[in-house]
Amino acid sequence: MMLEIKNLHARLSDGREILKGVDLSVGDSEVHAIMGPNGSGKSTLAAVLAGRDGYEVTEGSVTYRGRDLFAMPADARAREGVFLAFQYPVEIPGVNNMYFLRAALNAQRRNRGEPELDAGQFLRVVREKLKTLDIGDDLLQRAVNVGFSGGEKKRNEIFQMAVLEPRLAILDETDSGLDIDALRVVARGVNGLRAPDRSIVLITHYKRLLDYIEPDRVHVLQDGRIVQSGDKELAAELERRGYGTFGEQPELAGSA
Amino acid sequence: MSAVLDFPVSSAAKPETRPYLDVFDDSALEPQWLRQARRHGVTRFAELGFPTRRSESWRYLDLQSLQQKPLLPTVPEREAHQAAARTQLAGLELPERGARLAILDGRFAPEISRIDGLPADVWFGATSRATAERPELSRELAEDMPGDTAHPFAALNAAFFADGFVLDIAAGVTLDEPIEIVHLASGIEPRSYHTRSIIRIGEGSRATILETYTGNGRYWRNDIVAVHLAAGAELSRAVLVEEGSEAVHLAEVDATLNADARFSGFALLLGGGTVRHEVSVRFAGEGARCHLDGAFVVSGREEANIVTNVDHQVPHGETRELIKGVAAGRAHGAFQGKITVREHAQKVDAHQLSRNLILGQRAVIDTKPELEIYADDVKCSHGASVGELDETALFYLRSRGIPDAEARHMLIEGFLREPVEAIAEPALRDYLLRRLARRLEKLEE
Repeated sequence: MMLEIKNLHARLSDGREILKGVDLSVGDSEVHAIMGPNGSGKSTLAAVLAGRDGYEVTEGSVTYRGRDLFAMPADARAREGVFLAFQYPVEIPGVNNMYFLRAALNAQRRNRGEPELDAGQFLRVVREKLKTLDIGDDLLQRAVNVGFSGGEKKRNEIFQMAVLEPRLAILDETDSGLDIDALRVVARGVNGLRAPDRSIVLITHYKRLLDYIEPDRVHVLQDGRIVQSGDKELAAELERRGYGTFGEQPELAGSA
Repeated sequence: MSAVLDFPVSSAAKPETRPYLDVFDDSALEPQWLRQARRHGVTRFAELGFPTRRSESWRYLDLQSLQQKPLLPTVPEREAHQAAARTQLAGLELPERGARLAILDGRFAPEISRIDGLPADVWFGATSRATAERPELSRELAEDMPGDTAHPFAALNAAFFADGFVLDIAAGVTLDEPIEIVHLASGIEPRSYHTRSIIRIGEGSRATILETYTGNGRYWRNDIVAVHLAAGAELSRAVLVEEGSEAVHLAEVDATLNADARFSGFALLLGGGTVRHEVSVRFAGEGARCHLDGAFVVSGREEANIVTNVDHQVPHGETRELIKGVAAGRAHGAFQGKITVREHAQKVDAHQLSRNLILGQRAVIDTKPELEIYADDVKCSHGASVGELDETALFYLRSRGIPDAEARHMLIEGFLREPVEAIAEPALRDYLLRRLARRLEKLEE
């Protein structure tokens, strides 16, 4: 099992409880979509899985490939293959995108006991990924996300994901604010990554992304819990009925 | 007060200056004008005394230990440690592209210098040699330095300077390779080294200079450099300070810019117990431009100050300043920058920015940008910030697997690179970026 979340409760440092008992299992090679309205806890779930500070897990457990995820600090999780594509990628002035990504890849390789890549070897890896993703190499020589448009930032997340080849990729509203071309790049990146030993969790507000990436399972997150799970048809149903009906009729949760 | 007093200097002398007055000796075989200038300097130093922290310009620097344990400018009894000097020189890993002049323990060191091979209309050599060969330049250096009457340590320098360098470039000469000036301190004895130098760039000429400072043990370096840029002249001068942890480094640069001259003064302060880098720029001709960029990194108990004074005396001048600072441990950094725009200096465009990063709870950074504007048609601004490492950015790097310590270093280096990357000469820029990275590897937060 790639990821097993059991009865996960988490709150913000101000005490507000955001996750109120999330249960979710993601098998190897599966693509899951987590959908839900604003404020349902989607981004908190992503942040807690990635290990961001400012959240306190009060109950429950998360097992990643048989290991306790919370026993690992954020950087160790990433080296073990967890990747979070940020909803709002961070601008880092003065840090070159290539330099940053090579440091990240080499940290992973060290962790696996593989030799580090020098600048030339790394460039070959990168060139190949850029070609398959149809991303221009002008992104590489700039400081990380500095002066990038919204679409470029999201493409850069996907590019990083392609280079780092994670086991578990969590995409936090990567589709939000994207035009159709950028959305296709994201979809191509995700679809290109689908593999037997890799799982993907798409967190999204809209069904649109799921027109390009077909999920194995769709879950509805509402008020800190998964209230319904189903196959890809559930996304279509959500689009027709809206999230409101799920909130009003939580007793339906177990029926799907 | 009369220019020259009989020695010993009057009882009005400040007590902390007494050890220096006691070792003053003007009986050397030097020209009369130089002996006169030295007497004038020592007299002025006796009157001024050490600056106290009540003095606005010196308020951020603690000179108490220097005051309590004087570092005298006596000639060492033993020969300078040549092997140590060569090790220091090698440790700097200089680009070694152009000519190099080395100053060891305050004196020209010909055996580790390489000053020939420059065009005929360039005079480059030690101040001590210029006294005989270029007396007119030496006189200017000894007698006409603007800081000598106001700054106590400039006055002390006038009294005791033993050497330095002179670079005099005639009109219409472009030097392609950067000239390297290396200041070493062998640590043979605790003492002070007073050096005095002059850079004159002729009309339309261009030069790039890299000055590096490093040393071992306890010493006080008191360095003064005068810069004269003729009309249309261009000088890019980068300073790298990697002094020893017990060293006191006080440096003063006085630059005069004539019409359409370009001056880039860059300083990278990476080490030294007590470091002060002061630059004063006077706009004497219209259309001149000046960039004063720099960065400091302090850790442990180090102190570093960058002080800039820019005086726009004429219209149509441009100044840009970007100074970045990082302080860790119990260190203290400071930036004081003043831009004055005189009443008739219309159409001046001057901007000053000081940005600082504090690591840990006990480090301190002071920043004091200041504009004093008397003209009404100018574009001037200043800004300052002091902050901590951006936690969001740190998490972003860690979320990609980069270990915490490495991620912090990347952010600190990224923060400091901006002013270094603005250096036009690629070899110089890459060299300074390497030195910065090397310093940050050893940074103890």
